[in-house]
Amino acid sequence: MIEAKNLCLRYADGTLALHDINLHVEPGELVYITGPSGSGKTSLLKLFMGVEFPTSGTLKVLDHAVTKGQASNIRRLRMALGPVFQDFKLVKGRSSLENIMLGMRFFGFSSREIKENAREALIRVGLEHKAESLIENLSWGESQRVSIARAVVRKPALILADEPTGNLDRDNALNILEILKACKNEKTAVIITTHATHLINENDGRLIRLNGGAVERTDELK
Amino acid sequence: MKHLLNNADYFLKEVKAIVRINLLSNILSFISTALIFFILAMVISGWWMSNHVIAVIQGEAEINAYFAESISSAEVIQLADAIKRIDGVREAQLINEGQAYARMVEILGKEARVLEYFDENPFSPFIEIKIHLERMDAVLAELHLLSGIEHVRDNRDVLERLRNLAGIIRFLGYLIVTAVGISTLVIISHIIRQGIDNNREQINTLRLLGAPESFIAFPFLLVGLLLSIGGGILATMLAAYALRYVYAQVAGPLPFIPLPPRETLVLNLIILIASLSTFLGIAGSLFGLFAAKNNQ
Ligand SMILES: Nc1ncnc2c1ncn2[C@@H]1O[C@H](COP(=O)(O)OP(=O)(O)OP(=O)(O)O)[C@@H](O)[C@H]1O
Ligand SMILES: [Mg+2]
Repeated sequence: MIEAKNLCLRYADGTLALHDINLHVEPGELVYITGPSGSGKTSLLKLFMGVEFPTSGTLKVLDHAVTKGQASNIRRLRMALGPVFQDFKLVKGRSSLENIMLGMRFFGFSSREIKENAREALIRVGLEHKAESLIENLSWGESQRVSIARAVVRKPALILADEPTGNLDRDNALNILEILKACKNEKTAVIITTHATHLINENDGRLIRLNGGAVERTDELK
Repeated sequence: MKHLLNNADYFLKEVKAIVRINLLSNILSFISTALIFFILAMVISGWWMSNHVIAVIQGEAEINAYFAESISSAEVIQLADAIKRIDGVREAQLINEGQAYARMVEILGKEARVLEYFDENPFSPFIEIKIHLERMDAVLAELHLLSGIEHVRDNRDVLERLRNLAGIIRFLGYLIVTAVGISTLVIISHIIRQGIDNNREQINTLRLLGAPESFIAFPFLLVGLLLSIGGGILATMLAAYALRYVYAQVAGPLPFIPLPPRETLVLNLIILIASLSTFLGIAGSLFGLFAAKNNQ
């Protein structure tokens, strides 16, 4: 599902954000990526989404090679992903439901299917009572849940959630992690970056610790 | 195409949002597009009308030959026969004083009252000669050789002047069509670019979600079409109204000017403006989209 070999990313200003990353993720896996600020967590997810491209090494995500200059290939990769952004990237002036629908409007579903799926996703994150609320009127945690619903509604093969627990109190953070973990199934893998390692009480999955752009250690959670 | 139908409600909302975010510019663009198309419609109508007038007058190419009053009516008939034999003449017919008077009454319409001020019929009899237009010069030359003809009146002068006028109107037409094309393209593409700039964030999000470019661009194309077709419709309505006024002004006091049927004229205008505004709307939006893309 993800196949990274000797992956390096150097930004245009010379910052070496990632180096020598070797990573293999199977369908149905749950992977936590942690590490101090600036260790390269977001950069790694950007590579997975084809927002940045490897400066050296190779990266394959969902059978799509992540290389520069292959716009349609990258677009198809992105269609198969369920991204949850650190800053949500929800459309203001629109309701929660409309934002979730936007996640699957270009998949060829009928307008009824789009609406029904969006409602289901909203129920899944426990926000059915906020269907018609405008994005700018939602709390931080609610916005986070809408953005997860927008990812989930796409029935993605891979969910990439960047810092979904940031800025949330303990209860809310746990709630978000529960929702994300519940998205994992035999076909869907989930990758979550987080600072909040103390909230991970997992008996399943992997914890990858980045430091200075390299993998410092990997723990199998048992 | 399926995307588009399934998401019709979304696209309409997007169009509303794009227009509302910059309402004043959009309204002004709409009005100026309408005015530009209106000016185009009026100049094109003038062009079509003058062409029609020329075609009708050309079709009625005729020469009036006036003869000396001294010659007898038998000689006049002989003269008419001689004229008929000239190559290029289709018909030659004697019009006597009474008929000449009746015709003028018809041409003047309501204004025919002025004729009542004459004590006696001021018109002279003449021979009306219908000819083949391309033989006009040859026929005129031969007419001058016939004895008994005092002077000849033809409508070459009028035709020549009309042609010049039509030439000017056509030239104006070309200028206006060019101006309309350029300014509509500039207005529409500019407004589309502005819309895209105002929606950068959302467009970026859609790209991250893997939306096809056509899906992202479609609402902007709709806005461009809305502006130009909307402007075109408004312009056509204004033009139809203005033409009704022009026809009312011309047809009453100047009944002898052969105008094309107003319904045909308006119908042609509708077809022309509809296709032009659709084309310019699409082209303008695409320009705007490409400009925004190269600029990102
Ligand atoms: N666009 C960019 N251009 C240059 N340098 C960048 C860019 N984005 C990130 N960096 C640098 O790359 C390194 C890794 O950044 P990244 O955002 O991946 O860290 P992170 O682990 O996500 O941090 P945080 O926990 O604070 O979100 C940092 O040193 C950062 O300053
Ligand atoms: Mg980060």
